[in-house]
Amino acid sequence: MAEARKSMIKIKPKKYKTGDIVKVDFIVIHPMDTGLVKDKKTGKIKPAHYIDNITFSFDGKPFTTMKVWETVSTNPYFSVNFKVPGKGKITVDYTDNTGEKNSKSKKLKPKD
Amino acid sequence: MKRVILPIALLVTFATAGEQFAMSDADRAMYKEMLENNPADIYVEEGGELFEENLGGEEALAKFLGVSEKELPKYIAGFPRYIKKLGNVVGIDQVLQAMEVEQGKEKTKLKSEKMFSMLAYVKSLANDEIPNIDLSEPHEKASYDLGKKTFETARGGRGLSCLSCHSKDIIGQVLRTQPLPDLGEAGAGATWPAYRMTKSSLRTLQRRFQGCMKNALLKVIPIGSKEMVGLEVYVTKLAQDKKKAIAIPGLKR
Amino acid sequence: MKRRNFIKSMMAVSAVAVTPVALMAKEEAKAKKKGPNDMTVEAAIKAITGGTDVKKSDIIKLTVPEIAENGAVVPVKVQVDHPMEESNYVKAIHVLNTKNGNARCVDVMLTPANGKGYFATRIKLSSTQEVVALVELSNGTFIKATKSVKVTIGGCG
Repeated sequence: MAEARKSMIKIKPKKYKTGDIVKVDFIVIHPMDTGLVKDKKTGKIKPAHYIDNITFSFDGKPFTTMKVWETVSTNPYFSVNFKVPGKGKITVDYTDNTGEKNSKSKKLKPKD
Repeated sequence: MKRVILPIALLVTFATAGEQFAMSDADRAMYKEMLENNPADIYVEEGGELFEENLGGEEALAKFLGVSEKELPKYIAGFPRYIKKLGNVVGIDQVLQAMEVEQGKEKTKLKSEKMFSMLAYVKSLANDEIPNIDLSEPHEKASYDLGKKTFETARGGRGLSCLSCHSKDIIGQVLRTQPLPDLGEAGAGATWPAYRMTKSSLRTLQRRFQGCMKNALLKVIPIGSKEMVGLEVYVTKLAQDKKKAIAIPGLKR
Repeated sequence: MKRRNFIKSMMAVSAVAVTPVALMAKEEAKAKKKGPNDMTVEAAIKAITGGTDVKKSDIIKLTVPEIAENGAVVPVKVQVDHPMEESNYVKAIHVLNTKNGNARCVDVMLTPANGKGYFATRIKLSSTQEVVALVELSNGTFIKATKSVKVTIGGCG
């Protein structure tokens, strides 16, 4: 299935065990328009279009939530730590101010 | 050595405050870390998918170029190359276009996001290799010479050439708060395509050349033209001489 | 070499004519448009803390560049040296700025499952200003760290 919005979840380091604290990096292609800037080509103001909420979950259980504002860079990056409880799936659910909902997942495979 | 005559108006904007704008070690470390989370990684991944689905991936590319898949990374590091069956020194993007023609597919424009992504992916196959442009090949040498000449020729309303800002004498001077880099030392030829922060997108080297030309009031040369390919050969050789390894995608201001 | 001397003499002129400060983003140079989310950093901090006292703390390591190569993409890293246990953990990290129309950037609500009080992102800064890391601990106290970032209008294109 083609994903509506392009994004990537990176887990660092690449090799980890249960109980290790890994870095979870989430990058997403999104304009993060503030609604205050003119489009150079049309001369019209680009309407505000930015990610406003993100939830990081593991096997359906949220472990981090974020409220995001339009002051965050275009094609943003969000990074947090996570203590690996075992094998499972990290899911990042995010919405933007237009109501658009998206999701990205990545499996955690600890090398125990 | 060519005389570099800079109009006074431009000279006034150069400042000797080079040190003030030079990046501190701590800052350099921060920006280096950003390479690990480069938005361009997403475009490169996408380029890989397009390359695989539409053109047959590395297997098809190796076959088209007449090399083994194992030799592919080192071979890619020698681009822009003289490709006999195309009769010209060409960039990776032109090879991909030629493959499309050979496979009876619609040609992707060189100046398109789709092509930039595929070009970035294919070039990234040569990551960690130092460029190995072979100037003993006569067509390659001719392209290099044309590129060098283009680099050094003053043209446009301000009488500027690439040398005006990128000559050995100017390196380190500051133009509008940006210390002018040694293109070879900066590895420009090995670190483009790159994510450009000011453009929030993946940009290729030839496109950056075009941007530079626009700013210097030089007539923009088309992507894939003999002069542009020559410029790419010349600038890539500069990185080669400084033994800079290919690292795609790069990250630039 | 004639050319070198020519350039050197021009440098002497330019060192006086152009100072770096003049090239830095002017703070109120442009008439600022008001956005619907606009809020001052004082108001934002008050809204988050409910008005309680916020002291500076060394346990917060806030990393930002001294000079931002590009004001649209400024890396920010916050590391809080504090346990992440069930009843004693870093509850939230709020990244704020002092001169954008909207002082808020990201509000990150952490849990002990994070393992460390850490967050990183990239923000837009309209001009030279400060970045504030406002941290809430599970016991209800708030602490902060502040760092300044120089934003220059750089280069040619």
